[in-house]
Amino acid sequence: MDEKFDCIIVGAGVAGLAAAMILARNNMKFLLIEKGEFAGSKNVSGGVLWGSDLARLVPEYWQEEDGGWERFINHRRLTFLDEQSAFSIDFKSSHFNETPYSGVVVLRSKFDRWLAEKVQNAIDESDFAMESFIATNIKVDEVLMENDKAVGIRTGEEEFSADSVIIAEGVNNLLTRQVGLQNDYVPADHILTGIKEVIRFDQKVLEDRFQLNGLSGMSNEFVGYATDGVEGGGFLYTNRDTISLGLVAGIKDMREKEKSPHDLLNNFKMHPVIKDILQDGEIVEYSAHAVSSGDKRVMPREVYKDGVLLCGEAANLLMNAGKAIQGMDYAMRSGILAAETIVEAKEQADYSSQTLKQYKQKLQGSYVMKDINSFQDAVHMLHNPTMYQDMPNLICDFGRKFFTIDNEPTKKSRNLLSESVKKHSSYWDLMKIGFKGAKSL
Amino acid sequence: MKLLKLSERLGLVSYRNQAKSDIKPHIVVDTDICNSTCPHKATTYVCPANCYTMDEDGQVHFQVEDCIECGTCMYACDQGAVEWNYPDPEIGRGVTWNFG
Repeated sequence: MDEKFDCIIVGAGVAGLAAAMILARNNMKFLLIEKGEFAGSKNVSGGVLWGSDLARLVPEYWQEEDGGWERFINHRRLTFLDEQSAFSIDFKSSHFNETPYSGVVVLRSKFDRWLAEKVQNAIDESDFAMESFIATNIKVDEVLMENDKAVGIRTGEEEFSADSVIIAEGVNNLLTRQVGLQNDYVPADHILTGIKEVIRFDQKVLEDRFQLNGLSGMSNEFVGYATDGVEGGGFLYTNRDTISLGLVAGIKDMREKEKSPHDLLNNFKMHPVIKDILQDGEIVEYSAHAVSSGDKRVMPREVYKDGVLLCGEAANLLMNAGKAIQGMDYAMRSGILAAETIVEAKEQADYSSQTLKQYKQKLQGSYVMKDINSFQDAVHMLHNPTMYQDMPNLICDFGRKFFTIDNEPTKKSRNLLSESVKKHSSYWDLMKIGFKGAKSL
Repeated sequence: MKLLKLSERLGLVSYRNQAKSDIKPHIVVDTDICNSTCPHKATTYVCPANCYTMDEDGQVHFQVEDCIECGTCMYACDQGAVEWNYPDPEIGRGVTWNFG
């Protein structure tokens, strides 16, 4: 294969597959390279794919009997934990039953593989049905640069040339570093380890336990005792007949507090409230993956250069500002925007940074960078010990007092709250948080 | 629900090229750095697959066989001891997730 491709995409995750879909639909000649046995085979996420972009890539995907996704979310829960208690904000609405769904739970080994089949169908219908490929089992060792412009890739002794390269390699972004868009060493400060178990139940038990109806599902995030004082939080998502239960924990914080992620996960599972949820489950997989925090300080210097575009977690596009952990939807949108930019570059026969900077502008104009930019304060706040430690303790302490009926004269809620605040924090700290919170959200 | 030990958890992971005895390690660790100047030896407790262990004499050892390619050690090590790469699909180890 010595012919030149319009584009080579590195990585068949959500970002790479989204980009490939758009390239195929626009009759571009491209190569999508994946190092795993199949698309998704090395990918891990929590994981909920939020928003409705999936319907842009696979129209009416919900019609498919056995699609690549697990369940749609119509039930959201945010839980504060102390050692014994759980205090939740819970919202469920039939409004979320309507298509396009606003979030679907996925297991990547199945989802990415399914999405890759859809991309292959799009390739088959394109002008380059025989000349565009999804190639698995290939590890890209290097992005080939000539005069600081990408001209292709190298794998082992073999080279493939292209007018452009979309790097969608994920958070452990070695090629991003090789092309000089990020430093060789990325410090632990804004990187977390995600760790999870997939736990199987009898499907009827699962549906009864979580009040699921048909393919409806629940997402539950946890703050507080879940991470035992380490920066981060927990999550629980319902799949068809399994749940994804896990934690994200700051690597720098674990290093300083001498904590192991697998111990933290067992600690979380031992919490009395979580223990009840997990009864009779059987663990079928244990996995882990690094994830970025959404703090802009960890992001690459730039998302483009001559002949190169960065998508998804390779560009550290991820955020948790308290509402949801968003990453796969950012990957999908950035992949779409990158591919659209490449299509325009081909029309103009110019793949230099002059044209490719359009991608940055599209990204800045989209909800992805708008949200990342406007919620930076919220990201900083959530990674503050007052928020992941004192606040959950305070809330649970108040909850326990509020919901206790003990045949003694009942104190006014205001006084109970005041006691809890004094025990776990101070009005001054709360005012600071409240002020910051009001500003940041 | 029963809690699993780490070894039992890793027993649920599907690794590639498991039949091959001679695999090419995708991560190379200069344990001389771990065992001389590193003040925290954090990889021995932050690695979710326990690829980094400490023996009775406090010496750090590394094995790549159980690695699940998560990347944690690459960030946790701020001493320059970890040379991290992805495994070679043919002669490396690494994972294939069943669920992911």
